[in-house]
Amino acid sequence: MSSSSPAAVAPSQDPVLDVAALTFAYPGAPETAVLRGVNLTLAPGERVAIVGESGSGKSTLLHLAAGLERPGGGEVRLAGTSLGGLDEAGRTRLRRRVAGIVFQSFHLIPTLDARENVMLALELAGLPDDVAGRRARVAERRRRADAALAAVGLEGLGGRLPEALSGGEQQRVAIARALVHQPALILADEPTGNLDSVTGESVFSLLLEQVATHDSALLLVTHSAELAGRLDRIHTMHDGLLREG
Amino acid sequence: MGLIWRAWMRDWRRRPLQRVLTLLGVVIAVAVVLAVDLANQSAQRAFDRSMETVAGTATHQVLGPPEGFAEALYAELRSAGQRETAPVVEGAARLEDGRSIYLLGVDPFAEGPFRGAASDIGAAPVQRLLTEPGTVLPPRQWFAEQDAADGDRIELQAAGGRHAVRVLEADGAGEDDGRVWVTDIATAQVLLGRDGRLDRIDLRLEDAEAQRAMERALEQAAGTAGVNPEELEIVESGARDQASRELARAFRINLTAMSLLALLIAAFLVYNTQTFAVLRRRELLSSLRLLGAGRGRVVAVVLLEAALVGLIGTLLGALAGIALAQALVAQVAQTVTDHFFAAAVTQVTPRPLALLAVLPVGVGVALLAALAPALEAARHAGPSGQGAGAGEARARRRANRLAVTSLGLLVAGAGVLVTGVAGLPGAFFGLFLLIAGFVLLLPRVLGWTLRGLAALSAGRSLPRIGLRSLERSLSRSGPAASALTLALAATIAVSVMVGSFRGSVEQWLGQALTSDLYVTPVAPAAARDAARLPQDWAGPLLSESGADSLSTGTTVETGSDAGRVELFVVRPHPDWLEHLPLLEVDGPRDGLADRMAAGDAVLVTEPFAAHHDLQAGDDLELAVPGGRRTFTVAGVYRDYATPQGRVMIPHGAYARDGPAPEGVGSFGLVLPPDVDPEAAVERLEAWLAQRDPAAIVTRPAELEQESMAIFDRTFAVTHLLRIITLVVAFIAILGALMALQMERAREFATLRSLGLEPRGVHGLVLLQGGVLGLFAVLAAIPAGLGMGWILIEVINRQAFGWGMDLRWPGREVAGTVAVGLVAALLASLWPAWRMARMRLLPALREVT
Repeated sequence: MSSSSPAAVAPSQDPVLDVAALTFAYPGAPETAVLRGVNLTLAPGERVAIVGESGSGKSTLLHLAAGLERPGGGEVRLAGTSLGGLDEAGRTRLRRRVAGIVFQSFHLIPTLDARENVMLALELAGLPDDVAGRRARVAERRRRADAALAAVGLEGLGGRLPEALSGGEQQRVAIARALVHQPALILADEPTGNLDSVTGESVFSLLLEQVATHDSALLLVTHSAELAGRLDRIHTMHDGLLREG
Repeated sequence: MGLIWRAWMRDWRRRPLQRVLTLLGVVIAVAVVLAVDLANQSAQRAFDRSMETVAGTATHQVLGPPEGFAEALYAELRSAGQRETAPVVEGAARLEDGRSIYLLGVDPFAEGPFRGAASDIGAAPVQRLLTEPGTVLPPRQWFAEQDAADGDRIELQAAGGRHAVRVLEADGAGEDDGRVWVTDIATAQVLLGRDGRLDRIDLRLEDAEAQRAMERALEQAAGTAGVNPEELEIVESGARDQASRELARAFRINLTAMSLLALLIAAFLVYNTQTFAVLRRRELLSSLRLLGAGRGRVVAVVLLEAALVGLIGTLLGALAGIALAQALVAQVAQTVTDHFFAAAVTQVTPRPLALLAVLPVGVGVALLAALAPALEAARHAGPSGQGAGAGEARARRRANRLAVTSLGLLVAGAGVLVTGVAGLPGAFFGLFLLIAGFVLLLPRVLGWTLRGLAALSAGRSLPRIGLRSLERSLSRSGPAASALTLALAATIAVSVMVGSFRGSVEQWLGQALTSDLYVTPVAPAAARDAARLPQDWAGPLLSESGADSLSTGTTVETGSDAGRVELFVVRPHPDWLEHLPLLEVDGPRDGLADRMAAGDAVLVTEPFAAHHDLQAGDDLELAVPGGRRTFTVAGVYRDYATPQGRVMIPHGAYARDGPAPEGVGSFGLVLPPDVDPEAAVERLEAWLAQRDPAAIVTRPAELEQESMAIFDRTFAVTHLLRIITLVVAFIAILGALMALQMERAREFATLRSLGLEPRGVHGLVLLQGGVLGLFAVLAAIPAGLGMGWILIEVINRQAFGWGMDLRWPGREVAGTVAVGLVAALLASLWPAWRMARMRLLPALREVT
């Protein structure tokens, strides 16, 4: 796996994620800082794990990197664009173009089937943008979604609603959804946290494989040192501070 | 319970706005029900008081022909030993300021046990009433209103012409009627032009034996007094105003039904807000259940809160209701006065019992509406996702069961309406069964519709999400759509009913007002029937105006085998039957004019036929001058002049064996084409200015305008209830969407994290509100038109006997559709705004 990873990307390339002196506190408790000056850089194709205790701020860092929340201080640059200079809509547009997110509890849309969940990411990103006509675009989305589902081993299950899928299958759909529009960065928050160990291992391997296939960078939040050890770099979060190793 | 209660109720402090919404539902429900009840009761009291003042405690009355009977009859009865008798002369009169009053001429010595108003004269100078001709006893409140004093002179205009009278002020206090003025017999005879005659003799007959004795005495006395005994009849006091009572009651039932509809819609609001309140505290509920709180305890805490909401809402609603009643009572009283000549009532006196009776309404609605959310809350054992999903599955199953129940209700409702059991209340009950059936069917239909729309939106993920989300949350979307549908359907139904009624009345006025000019006595509409103009004006009016045809119409009251009835004695224009809106004719229509001219046929109005169960071809015995005669009902015609209905009889037929009615109610003039109507009006006005009694020339358009003003006043109250209903529905849909969005917060957060912009969230929520609004509108149109048809064909016929042509009020329906959609979209704005600016992290973490 590591041999196929793009870890050895030329350092001159612009980082896909650049976090500098990031601070954050929840609105209800401004005196309790969750992040206290975090710095982190991810080069294209690089795979980085963040480990740490519960409540240490690692998930918060991931969400701030995705632009889901405004930082208290410092800067987050996604694909070279500073999130601080963007409004809510601008952050959303940047996120859907550059990033794909995989959540611990899958977060599939319960009213859409597996295929539609994957197609949704394409629809929101306005893809494909080189096909004329709505019908043709929808057909292309369907084709890509089916391909993405097949790539995660769910061929033939596209018509099932999330409630008819197992946990492992749901997370595979979530991975397909996160990667279908070929984002430069995948943000994964405990992607195996809700799965048993066997399923978890299988899903994690699939995630790494897909990230490599799409040449995406990966920022993974996990409790598992074993999973973290399979990535290019490991950072540890402790009391809102991030250190390498 | 203490800590659980405290934990539960802390939400009140944290979310006061939500509590206000819940309270608002109860407040509106209680206020509307109480206001309508108070207004109805106040108008009823005034009506009863008016009737009581006029009829007193008499058990029976001796009534005669329309022109009255000789007063010698009373003297003969007294001398024959019938002491429990009191003579009465009565009629409408007009004050200088234009207000109408009811003049009651009594014999103060004979009054004794009969009438409050007269026997309460108390320290008033009875001798002056008797010894000073031309004195009257106005109600006490009149002196205060007019700043008048005992002995002041005023002018009264009545059937006997214009007369100056002196007013006497009675001492003491007490409730008296605002319109009944008492005077002695002799003065009343002069004022009302009843010289030497009486209108009735009041009797107190204890049993059937006494009645038989009185009948014998009356026959003897009639012979001695030279009165034709056939023209006399003894009727029970209540029977005389039975029709008015029935109609006033029908009017009240209509109002009450509308208030109950508002109550039903308010219940939806309370249900929605209570559901919302439970959802808000889902986390707390889960924790409580996990800590070991039993289901019973959770149900108890939710219901206890609902009872508290009900109690506070009832208290606030009672205050609002009293205020609203003040606004309503004037409307209701005016309507009763316009149609039934009841007493004025401007004050609402809240009775403790009415206030107490509304407590179960407020608390009951709150408890009933909270029951489902309470049970739902109790089922939450763990994290909400599963509970909510299971709840929705239950809601879908419930919707299926309710759909079956609703079919049963629809069949039962239709059965009640078709069979006509239990009269007007039964008709309303049938209508409510239909409404309930329809409302219960709606969630299922909504589910199907949403599923169909979602299938149609394949390839468009966001609309699909919005539609499926509504379908999966049927327990939220169903009641909201039902509330809005019900409100809109009620609005459309009332529009159909009022529009059809208005259109029919306008059309009828156009047909009925066949003359170019009318000369009528100066009197308000309610008293016009009793006012008269001299018969010998006919010739001068024709010559002054240049008219080529003159008609007369005079209303008189008389006895019949159907009780006391109103006769409309007419001398019509030659082509009158061509314009008369006949609904039924006995035999060929061509021969009708000859039959009417022959003098043995009458026509009856539609309400009259309905109230007395008559059809064309039936016989009707009428007391006309010269004795009782049997007439054939030659036809039934449409007429909205009186809700009681009346009998139209040609002048010649009425006066065949006796005197014609004294005076004329109104003259109608048809001008030839070469006569300028304006010039004719000027000439007539100049001629009338020299005459007494006062009369005016009116054009059909003016009469039409006045009639339509009365019509609009009658239905003004429905507009108020309509607005309240729509406001309630708006709040209900707002509450439902809030609940829906809250339940789906995690889904929205996921969509946002996947790249849906805030404006996309706006669009999604507005789409959901719009779809609910559109569904409600589309469901409300057939429901409203159906309800309108039932109101016209069943309720109105039962209540008033009026038929009307069904008119589809396209503009009103379009307006209601627009209002419904706008209300739904407006109700979506706040949830859309909230969802779009929702913080994503808490929502995404909600169940992780």
